[in-house]
Amino acid sequence: MIAALIMAFQVMAEEPIPNPRLEERAQGLMREIRCVVCENEPVSQSTADIAVDMRRTIRTQIEQGKSDEEVRHFFSDRYGQYVLFRPPTQGLGMLLWAFPFALLVGVAAFLGFRSFRSRHRELAPLPDNGRDDVSG
Amino acid sequence: MIAELGHLLAFLALATAASQSVLGLTTGGAPVRRLAVATGMFTLLSMLTLVISFVRLDFSVELVARNSHSLKPIIYRIAGAWGNHEGSMLLWCLIMAGYGAAGAMFMRGGKLRDRTLGVQGLLTTGSLLYLLIASSPFVRLDDPPLDGGGMNPLLQDPAVALHPPFLYTGYVGLSFVFSIAAAGLIIGKIDREWAARTRPWALTAWSALTIGITLGAIWAYYELGWGGWWFWDPVENASFMPWLVSAALVHSLIVTEKRGGMAAWTVFLAVLAFCLALLGTFLVRSGVMTSVHAFATDPERGIILLIGLGITGGAALALYAWRAPKIMAGPEFDPVSREGALILNNLFLSVAAALVLVGTVTPMFAQALNISLSIGEPYFQLTFAPMMAVLLLFMPLAQASTWRRTEIEPLLKRFWPAMALAIVVAVGAAVLSGKTLWLIPGILVGVWVVAGVAMDLARRVGPGGAGRVFRLPLTVWGMAIAHIGMGLFVIGATAETAARSERTFPLRQGEVAEMAGWTFRFDGVGSAEGPNYLSTRADITVTHDGKTEVIHPEKRFYPVAGTGTTEVAIRKTMGGDVYVALGDTIREEPGVWRIRIAHHPLIDWVFGGAGLIAIGGFVSLAARIRRRVPVTEQAPATEPEVTGKPPATAGAPA
Repeated sequence: MIAALIMAFQVMAEEPIPNPRLEERAQGLMREIRCVVCENEPVSQSTADIAVDMRRTIRTQIEQGKSDEEVRHFFSDRYGQYVLFRPPTQGLGMLLWAFPFALLVGVAAFLGFRSFRSRHRELAPLPDNGRDDVSG
Repeated sequence: MIAELGHLLAFLALATAASQSVLGLTTGGAPVRRLAVATGMFTLLSMLTLVISFVRLDFSVELVARNSHSLKPIIYRIAGAWGNHEGSMLLWCLIMAGYGAAGAMFMRGGKLRDRTLGVQGLLTTGSLLYLLIASSPFVRLDDPPLDGGGMNPLLQDPAVALHPPFLYTGYVGLSFVFSIAAAGLIIGKIDREWAARTRPWALTAWSALTIGITLGAIWAYYELGWGGWWFWDPVENASFMPWLVSAALVHSLIVTEKRGGMAAWTVFLAVLAFCLALLGTFLVRSGVMTSVHAFATDPERGIILLIGLGITGGAALALYAWRAPKIMAGPEFDPVSREGALILNNLFLSVAAALVLVGTVTPMFAQALNISLSIGEPYFQLTFAPMMAVLLLFMPLAQASTWRRTEIEPLLKRFWPAMALAIVVAVGAAVLSGKTLWLIPGILVGVWVVAGVAMDLARRVGPGGAGRVFRLPLTVWGMAIAHIGMGLFVIGATAETAARSERTFPLRQGEVAEMAGWTFRFDGVGSAEGPNYLSTRADITVTHDGKTEVIHPEKRFYPVAGTGTTEVAIRKTMGGDVYVALGDTIREEPGVWRIRIAHHPLIDWVFGGAGLIAIGGFVSLAARIRRRVPVTEQAPATEPEVTGKPPATAGAPA
């Protein structure tokens, strides 16, 4: 009981890491790790006790010299991938990261190819006096 | 009696809306117009009866009993009428019918108007049926309570009281754009005139949606107490998808109206925008996700919404598939041209909308399949943001480009000072703040856009003095204001995201915290009582540059709802906001409070930029209203028509 109280006390005091670079990394991680008891909130925003605990854990691990990836793993191992707002970059997750760019490049290439093929002749620009315009 | 009157008025609106759709799709003419105005009036009166019930605190109405309370200030009693599922559905019907009535009054007569009002009548009928069957706001209680259940205190706020009306004017306004598109497809006339007549409605809906989303972001910034304004939450995404698609639409409509090009694509976007608005409503209201917006989530309602979405989207797509092959392609153009630039805009905005859609629904499917997955801010920051940055690089060039073909070298020569300025400012900002990764590209793009648009504006004014500034056409102003707003937004959003700082200090009375040249002395907390809440108010003496003032961050507790809110204290400075929130006491150390202090650089540029985007939209709209000449008479002055059949390229990118 007393041990629990002391633990709780330590959890409550939220001191930033003295080294600003490490603190910045820790805060970055706090913004992308989900508070496990709230709806759609990262631990950086949440006022829940568990979020305070999670923030402390993140700071401790960063101070111990763990990499961002290792901290993410620590949480996803315990709470599942769900806890990370950043989807995984391996396996099917890769598809998720690649598809917007693939779609953009694919459609652009298709359009470019089509207009290239039908570029028969030199067109003259329409005159523009700068006053009648784009939309009017 | 008043609730029964409201119920009756809703039924009358249902009857007139149904007749409006039948007549609009068949005979047409003056009766359709009158019916559309009547539908608007009946829903307006019905909404008024609900507002009266809320203002008079008639707790025999179940909705009032559940969502209001005698201690609530009057403005929130009024806003309470739409701060719940049933009331907001009535607001939805009102705005939908309101657009129908406005169309009846402001659209020129003819087949397009008849069919538009017919389709709008169908949509209104469907919405009213849903309201009356699945979410009636007029249900009475046999045994009325003495007082109401109160409203979520987070919603007791001026920005969020106005958020639904604006958001719906945007969201639901897209229904009218949908109706004109469907009407154009039905009569088989998707041409320049159709585009000219669609554009004011698309501008109205898109600008209102911009304001609605911005109000929501402002509210999140100061009311939720953590200083964030956008979190890529599914609810935010639900409103952002229609915004992106309608932003693409207001641009592609220009090509269709001015040149007759991209018509098939434009009409597709017009249909898609409203379908995404419906999808968003389904996501928010069905309970597939939870949030502050998800009042009364109900799977049964979700199913009805899904069926509605299926019927609307399916019918529209079938109509589109039937008519699209007959839509004429526009005249030929070179890829490097204003047409090409606007296609690029549409390409990026639609891919961005697809990205947001996939990023929003994938976790829901994953959950259904028991796969543990979240997609949030880091994903969108690394995919969406760079994509938009590339698009914005083209913005000033696009503004200065000419129709049909553009000589690119003179443009690049003309704009180099803007690019040079952008590089200098971006590198300077990165060096000064010590944050390079995110700051450089964002600031570069933002400054480039603002400076480039300003240069283009100067070119349009031409030599001959400042007086000529006021003779520029309103449309040019609309475009320039919106684009400069976009640039300011990007600068603000980049600075805010990359350079904000925050720290939580545990402070005892009399202790001092320091951050970035500011000192904060915690002088303890006191209690105060508001109309329907109890407040714990801190006194904090802030000193900066020799000036001292006292600020009061608060925590409010609403006994009726049993929950609390955080009222932050914000000090505005040139460089951004100093943001102070009062946290909890630390139980084991009595007298120690957690005080969160944050600095949000250039946050006003974020909201101000977004506001300018909306203002730009409204200015363009004003330009349309001022000059209501049929499109055929205002064709670009000198266009040597291209002879022969235009090739397929000139058409849509789809």
